[in-house]
Amino acid sequence: MSQKKILLVEDNEFNRKIVRNLLAKQPYELLEAHDGEAGVAAARRDRPDVIVMDVQLPKLSGLDATRALRAEPETASIPIIVVTSFALSGDDKKAMDAGATAYLAKPYSPRQLLDTIRRMAGDA
Amino acid sequence: MARHEAGSPGETVGGSPAAAPGFGERSAQLLLAHTPLGWLVRAVARMRSSVHFKLLAAFLLVALVVALVGVISLEIMSRMSAQSEAMHHAHERVTSAQEAQHALAMQMNYTAMALILRDEATIGHILKENNRLNAMLAEVEETAPSEEREIIQRIRGAQGDVMATVADVANLVRDGKIDQAMNLQLRSGSPLFQQVEGLVEQVVRIEDRNMARQRDATTRANRHAIYLMSGLIAASLLLALLLGFVTSWSFILPVRQAQTFLSRVAKGDFGATVTVDNRDEFGELAAQMNRMSAELRRLYDEQREAARQLETLNVQLARASQAKSEFLANMSHELRTPMNAILGFTEMILDEIYGEVPPSLRDPIQDVRTCGQQLLRLINDVLDLSKIEAGRMELSLTEYSVQEVVETARTSLRSLAEEKGLEFTAEVSQDLPAAYGDGKRITQCLTNLVGNALKFTKQGRVAIRAGLDGERVVFSVADTGIGIPADQLDQIFGEFRQVDASISREFGGTGLGLSITKTFVELHGGAIWVESEPGRGSTFHFAIPLRVPEAPATEEAA
Repeated sequence: MSQKKILLVEDNEFNRKIVRNLLAKQPYELLEAHDGEAGVAAARRDRPDVIVMDVQLPKLSGLDATRALRAEPETASIPIIVVTSFALSGDDKKAMDAGATAYLAKPYSPRQLLDTIRRMAGDA
Repeated sequence: MARHEAGSPGETVGGSPAAAPGFGERSAQLLLAHTPLGWLVRAVARMRSSVHFKLLAAFLLVALVVALVGVISLEIMSRMSAQSEAMHHAHERVTSAQEAQHALAMQMNYTAMALILRDEATIGHILKENNRLNAMLAEVEETAPSEEREIIQRIRGAQGDVMATVADVANLVRDGKIDQAMNLQLRSGSPLFQQVEGLVEQVVRIEDRNMARQRDATTRANRHAIYLMSGLIAASLLLALLLGFVTSWSFILPVRQAQTFLSRVAKGDFGATVTVDNRDEFGELAAQMNRMSAELRRLYDEQREAARQLETLNVQLARASQAKSEFLANMSHELRTPMNAILGFTEMILDEIYGEVPPSLRDPIQDVRTCGQQLLRLINDVLDLSKIEAGRMELSLTEYSVQEVVETARTSLRSLAEEKGLEFTAEVSQDLPAAYGDGKRITQCLTNLVGNALKFTKQGRVAIRAGLDGERVVFSVADTGIGIPADQLDQIFGEFRQVDASISREFGGTGLGLSITKTFVELHGGAIWVESEPGRGSTFHFAIPLRVPEAPATEEAA
């Protein structure tokens, strides 16, 4: 039985490490992408079960990547958790408008992230 | 304001308006363009005298011409009158001559009658006729030329002979010697009569000829008079028309040019110029209009320049504003990302994801987490402040529960209260309806106040209360802390303010929290105030509408 795949799209290496460590003991396979374009490509190629998408990414922003994935039928139904930095009000609304399934504001509690991932994967 | 670009600024307007001209109009244009009339019009226009003078001069000229025509016609009429007189006179003379002839005939008749009737009356008649004859001849003789006079003298002479013979005949008749009388009459009287008759006939003919000549002269004079008058009238009519045409056109042309020019300017063609030939008031008018047009052009150019500069400024402002927003977004991200890692790792360590945490390490790691959380709070405050400063702070309005707000504040600070051994209570009115506002920010405000209360209270309690007051929700945080002096109460909500520097040293904090709390309360359309007694404690209150109407973002002057 193959594990469920979680795709993490995050450019900061420490934050990637956090999620990596967080999911190390969890029954998920973690895929990582370092920018928006790579994230979209990985989603198309590997069809993850959940995507964790940071908002501020190089090459293609998190919201644009989310919109792109929502526009394609193969990736349109994958749950996407958007991580916002809550800069300006309406960030959360913008995230939902772009097609996010859920959002989390930085800095988030890793426990909270894990709970949300499990809920999205249907394991809660 | 001009609505279209002038084709070529300074274009000269000289011609007539573009509207379809009538027949009179077109023929006038033709005359002006192709005949010396145009030259005349321009010459009149160029005269340096005033319009008033030109008009008066034109009318005076016409009046002069009329007077001249009048004088000449009077002269002609008097001449015609004289001719008429002469004619009459000639006719009279003819009549006289004819009467003379008649008298002579009657004389002959009565002489013959005398021979038949042989009475004195008839002889008397003869004499009477003789007198008449003489009278008539005298009339004619009065103004007769010399050759005619000579004839009349001969008539007189002959008549004398005739009368002598008649006298002889009369005597013979009186004496009853009729046959001798008749003989004498036949032999002498008749031929003499005939002689006189022939002479009188000559006179008559002379007078007839005279009259005929007079008639011819009169007819000729009439004809001449008619020609002269016609010529004069035609000439004066022409002159009047010419003067009218030339004068009026010397005024109309510049008016038309001005009209065209002004309509061009009105359409936005500033800087156009008009040229007229006139050097009178119309010329001055044209010069003024040109000046006006140049001024309009200048103003228009100035305005366009100003508008362009404004446009540039606007673009710059928009860019600056955009830059600000981008900066804020960037800063938020840049600051929160490493915080996320710090707090994330510490939490995971403490959750024993990396394995069991040795007891000796537990405390220091928790300290790291505590400091991280403090740092995060500071970063949030600074970011909030810069958003407020930039006028970018907006509320995110949703339904929220007052109960939940109070609960969140209490939960997040419960451990701090426990640590300090302070009593920590919360009391929320029952049956509070759902509220509408920025629940997150309200929670932040309440948490700020509670945090302050806990911070500045060394012993006693901190109590949270929330309730409904009319249309408003009122939150209160009461503590038994160090309190605030009365003279500082109104400054406490200012940025960077704390009661004094020693407080900062002892309790820490930047003083940002209260000013941010105040901003959020006021953005909700609410109010915040404090009651305090140094040494006894303080109670902070804030009241906001239960349901906040859509509020605009803070827009402070940049």
